[in-house]
Amino acid sequence: MKYASIITRAIVGGVLLYAGFMKAIGPSAEFAALISAYKILPAALIGPFAIGLPYVEMWVGLFLLFGFYTRQASVATLVLISSFSMALLSSLLRGIDLVSCGCFGADSLSPRYTIVLDMILLVLSIVSYRQSKIPPAYSLDKVLP
Amino acid sequence: MNFKRFVTASLLILAPVIAVHLVKQTQWGPVLATPPERQLGGPGAKVIIVEFSDFQCPTCARVEPTIHQLLDVYKGKVRFIYKYFPLKMHRNAMPAARAADCAADQKQFWPYHDRLFDTQLAWATLTDPTTSFMAMAEETKLDIPKFTACYADVTRTIGIEQDVKEGTAREVSATPTFFVGDERLVGQVIATDGARTIEKAMRQ
Repeated sequence: MKYASIITRAIVGGVLLYAGFMKAIGPSAEFAALISAYKILPAALIGPFAIGLPYVEMWVGLFLLFGFYTRQASVATLVLISSFSMALLSSLLRGIDLVSCGCFGADSLSPRYTIVLDMILLVLSIVSYRQSKIPPAYSLDKVLP
Repeated sequence: MNFKRFVTASLLILAPVIAVHLVKQTQWGPVLATPPERQLGGPGAKVIIVEFSDFQCPTCARVEPTIHQLLDVYKGKVRFIYKYFPLKMHRNAMPAARAADCAADQKQFWPYHDRLFDTQLAWATLTDPTTSFMAMAEETKLDIPKFTACYADVTRTIGIEQDVKEGTAREVSATPTFFVGDERLVGQVIATDGARTIEKAMRQ
């Protein structure tokens, strides 16, 4: 059970960290163009969102990976991944032809694979949340109470 | 929050910011050889502007007048190099690049390039843009049998993919991306910062 926590945190935290990093190192204009393709956010918010979201993903991913404020990081992960899934599902239901999900900057997945990945991450986030009621094993929360 | 937790939190927050900053500081690689048909300006010009562009990208079409204006103002002082960067999200971008590359074979790259951007709205959403590209070939007085054979040759994409590889190595992922000397400008920023960046490159 103690290994389950570190494994789920490593997978979910690692994916968030990678996704945020790949977006942050690329031009934010490109990510902004991908966000606008979803037709969800008002134009005025797209720019700040394109700059800010990659860092939020990296911070949440890093906190989860190291098990620091694990419970809060797990909740933030659930919120992030649920939002991504809903945005993707909503665009698919509205018939928007997204060539790329925009999840990993230049290394993007097709929306079909992204839905599967999001579902896996969502399940792992729930596992991580359930295991974070007490400071999990191999976490900074355990070392720095 | 105790002191140790405060320091740890600060480190975890700062680490990605520093990592991204360091990666973005990376120096761009050299500009690889480009056929002279896709270059404008004197070979001895002090400043080189490289554009990675996609014929189906609306912003690329919108910045065209700005590029023409900059090339007029800095005539003889800058050399402009066009690199193909057809984005996967634009289904007709690769065929358009192939058509333009075939026009380049007949020394008509720039007229064809201008026609592609001028008529972008008409062909961008077509299932098969071949008829439009053929019409442009006639308008730009190309040898049609030669153009047709060239356009049908799928190996033409190899050269285009090389430009894409070069762009990817220079961390291009959006179009248009310009390199003015060492500085990178993405999108319509060329309209506001283009002249300043050229002046800066000329001073270096």
